[in-house]
Amino acid sequence: MTRLHRIALASTVALCAAMPVAEAKDLTVGFTLDADTLDPANHRKRETETIIRNLYDGIVTRDANMQVVPEIAESMTQVSPTEYDFKIREGIKFHDGTEMTAEDVKFSLDRITVDGAMGDGQTSPRQGLMGPVDKVEVIDGTTVRITLKEPWPILPAMLPNQQIVSKAFVERVGTAGLATEVNGTGPFKLVEWRKGDAIIMERFDDYYGGATDIAPVGPACVDRVIFKVIPESASRVAALLAGDVDIINDLPAFSVAQVKNAPDTDVLTVNGTRSFFIAMNMEGEIFDDPKVRQAAAHAIDKQLIIDKILAGNAASIDGILSPDAFGASELPAYEYDPEKAAALLAEAGFPDGIDVTMDVEGAFKDTAEAVASLLTKAGIRTRVAVGESAQLTEKWRTEGEPKSGDMYFTSWGNGSLDPFDIFTPTHRSHDRGNSAGYANPELDKILDAAAVEMDAEARAAMYREAELIVNADAPYVYLWVPQDIYGVSKRLSGWTPSADSRINLHDACVE
Amino acid sequence: MSLGKLLERILQLLPVLLGVSLIVFAMMALTPGDPVQIMIGDQSVTPEQEAALRRDLGLDRPIHERFFLFVTDAVRGDFGESFYHRRPVADVIAERLPATIELSLVALIVALATAIPLGVLAAIRKNSVLDRLATVGSLLGVSLPGFWFGILLMMLFAVHLQILPVSGRIGYSSEIVPITGFLLVDTLLRGNLSAFWDALSHIILPAITLGLPMTAILMRVTRTSMLEVLRQDYVTFAEAKGLSRRRVLFRHALKNALIPTVSVAAIETGSLLGGNMIVETVFGWPGLGRLVVESIFLRNYPLVQAAVLFYAVTYVLLNFAADLLYTALNPRVKL
Repeated sequence: MTRLHRIALASTVALCAAMPVAEAKDLTVGFTLDADTLDPANHRKRETETIIRNLYDGIVTRDANMQVVPEIAESMTQVSPTEYDFKIREGIKFHDGTEMTAEDVKFSLDRITVDGAMGDGQTSPRQGLMGPVDKVEVIDGTTVRITLKEPWPILPAMLPNQQIVSKAFVERVGTAGLATEVNGTGPFKLVEWRKGDAIIMERFDDYYGGATDIAPVGPACVDRVIFKVIPESASRVAALLAGDVDIINDLPAFSVAQVKNAPDTDVLTVNGTRSFFIAMNMEGEIFDDPKVRQAAAHAIDKQLIIDKILAGNAASIDGILSPDAFGASELPAYEYDPEKAAALLAEAGFPDGIDVTMDVEGAFKDTAEAVASLLTKAGIRTRVAVGESAQLTEKWRTEGEPKSGDMYFTSWGNGSLDPFDIFTPTHRSHDRGNSAGYANPELDKILDAAAVEMDAEARAAMYREAELIVNADAPYVYLWVPQDIYGVSKRLSGWTPSADSRINLHDACVE
Repeated sequence: MSLGKLLERILQLLPVLLGVSLIVFAMMALTPGDPVQIMIGDQSVTPEQEAALRRDLGLDRPIHERFFLFVTDAVRGDFGESFYHRRPVADVIAERLPATIELSLVALIVALATAIPLGVLAAIRKNSVLDRLATVGSLLGVSLPGFWFGILLMMLFAVHLQILPVSGRIGYSSEIVPITGFLLVDTLLRGNLSAFWDALSHIILPAITLGLPMTAILMRVTRTSMLEVLRQDYVTFAEAKGLSRRRVLFRHALKNALIPTVSVAAIETGSLLGGNMIVETVFGWPGLGRLVVESIFLRNYPLVQAAVLFYAVTYVLLNFAADLLYTALNPRVKL
């Protein structure tokens, strides 16, 4: 190479470097699971919904403080205890350029709520999330009315779970087509779904802007969003540290320090919605005595476990409700007092203590072992038995059938942050999640009445009353609500985690 | 092998498949855990809604009826619809299969390409430092858990050195229209070299992780068999004839020494497909193994049944291939 050549080459290189390069801005999420399907009405998984939510918008959504705000709707009015009107915004476009109308909204809700509406006689697996819907009508060109068979106050809290599809598009591609093809009104369009690997989306330039109550309003900031499926948590952390992804969900507590200390990454947390508790088999011969159950509650130093095992990332609870849930209130606490626990055991006729087994899923074995050692110190000699989720669910959630086992370290999620979805199933006699086998007709009455009480203040008071009854009966030892932990790249801005574990990327930017 | 024998072997497949179907079906049905309850999760639902879901999944029918339906449908190539994907199970499996097969094949190549030379070297330099290193190495290879080894490789090459990607099958800048479904082949067929390197860089770590235990086993088999062959009279005779060392080793000894290696490799390939589950999870590899594990936890019966049936067929066919290879390499053996 001659000297001239070298100079020419060097200047070309310099020129190239100086020229602004239009590089697409990609935001990549390292995500635990792939979507099962892209049909908003045909799945039962939170992770699937998180992905779909970036492609499809709903009538309403939630802001960062979990308040329900209108999205596709302009406003929401409750006309009567069983009727809700939604005024639909005009000028919203689907990804294919067609305009969205109130008919599309009715069609989308009918698909979910009407028996057999999914085609082939199948009913949407999401029907249960919509409560007792009687019918959905378009009452004038732009207003949709949802009529319920009976009052169901949590309808607004549950509606953010449903998204709006295009009637014409669904009629064209069918339910089978909607599993893999997308024509939504969301901030991103589907580019490609590499099954099991990634879902690639790009910005929808004609986006109407999203909820007016959540700034900024307008098209998305980044050019592309990629949900990259990385099921193993150590690998997700590695991908974040290597700069391959910008957000990871489900960061394990033991990796928090590593991610915090790395130069380019940080940790974000948000209060979760899942309550952890220990069910005690009230049908058994040990835990049928409230004194024994109270002894268990006094035996556990919750704060110690939160600090040492959960790295401080959890809020202690004294009832089933998360501190952020509707109707949550301050309750009398069962303070950590092993001597009192031993005394209560003696009073119950077990001066020498008791031997019990605590069932737990593999993922929570460490925590359960710590709880067991505290219980053991107080005379409740506990052996931890690890089981698989599906198996333990069948053993403990018997819906009134006889139960075996002593204790069950478990949890219940409450995405709506409404007691109806957590208090009722776990405490009402024979209900789905009542793993303690707790049966209290007085409580059932209050829970049933609260479920349909329209006055928010009165309803909150009812749940307070219910909490106090349960607090005395102690069917469960209420433990904590863990925070959801995310790892993020420092080049990310405009995104904060949300308690309902959604990852809405409309407002997120990357440098 | 005569045509009759071939037919006989293929006919033998039928009872195996029926037996496997019955076992898988029974195991899934008898394992505690209700798919409907798992699917509903933490939610308040009415008994009617629960019943509707059970009916839609076909779980309201008695078990013998479900098994009969499964078998009669399967014969026609219909394995039902995945509870979660809400699409035919055959489609869902077909989407994931190329990734699994590609990874297994590359792992097999990695294993053969390292195990045979190492095994031969260890045999001809018996008790040398190299032999001992290879022996210790193979012991480690068999005993290291794939999960741990994979993450170790990932931390070193992807996080610290940053020369290989952490996970996935190919980057997201290139779109490859599939021909065979194997990215390494498709990128070459399409003449897209940069995408080929991209795909190659993604497959290296998972293939090494997956292939390691097999490398170790094959190396030991090759070494032992080579040592045995080298003691045979015909090898001594070939040496006595004054043939070159190289000619004796490669023309006379290796050909016979490889017979056990090849048949073990064919059978081990079946376990490569099974071993994929862990490696696919660690490296976010979009293959069948991971899908099956997820489906087992969710009690997604149709998918697990079809996938296990697939594994069984593959295993039987690979065994068959091993037999064929064995007779081809060793004409003294007749099937």
